[in-house]
Amino acid sequence: MFEIGYGSDGEVLCSGRLDAAQCAKAQSFMDDIADNSTLDFSRLEYISSAGLGILLKTQKRLAESGAALRIINVNNHIHDVFRYSGFDAIFDIHAKTE
Amino acid sequence: MQRNFARNYDSLTAIYEFAEGILAQHQIAEAVRFPVHLAMEELFTNMVKYNPDCDSEIAVGVDVKGGRVTVELTEFDVDEFDVTRRREVDTGASLEDRTPGGLGLYLLQNIVDKLEYEYRDRRSRVIFTKESG
Repeated sequence: MFEIGYGSDGEVLCSGRLDAAQCAKAQSFMDDIADNSTLDFSRLEYISSAGLGILLKTQKRLAESGAALRIINVNNHIHDVFRYSGFDAIFDIHAKTE
Repeated sequence: MQRNFARNYDSLTAIYEFAEGILAQHQIAEAVRFPVHLAMEELFTNMVKYNPDCDSEIAVGVDVKGGRVTVELTEFDVDEFDVTRRREVDTGASLEDRTPGGLGLYLLQNIVDKLEYEYRDRRSRVIFTKESG
């Protein structure tokens, strides 16, 4: 199960497991983001390369207009995936404080 | 324990639940379960993606012995695709130079402890292990 939607402060709340089966749902939401945005991963448990692809595609599109994604509350396991992928150098990532 | 799954992305939740049940039963730590699930998904989706004309199910086996998790994925009547062949991704490239795709097998090769591939009689078999100690 994967859910994505806006929080009360305008941040994008992601929860559950972002696997390849959930990419269409995530991509559809991300395609509507047009400005600087914060993704709150505090309730996101898992991400695979399919989910990373959506983040990268969105970040590249936003960069064309000088905007960017910021990702906060990232758990240790997802943070490791970002690090292995080199995404920690192309996204503003903030780990979850346990 | 082994089970067959339909060759489509909708099987991912069932695969996760199948593996999670076995890993939880053996009290495998989350730090090991996460990469095991990730490696399973990357392999399964790779099989789905690169053999689109095949409709045979994919057999997934999960075994835990002495803290070592062994996962085996087998598909039938497919072309050879060696997942152990080294995939290089420039993880230091700038945002402009990065392109979506190609990360799955790169991640797989970096998060498992051992990765083996066998191809015989149009049968592909991938085995990986992850140590929990």
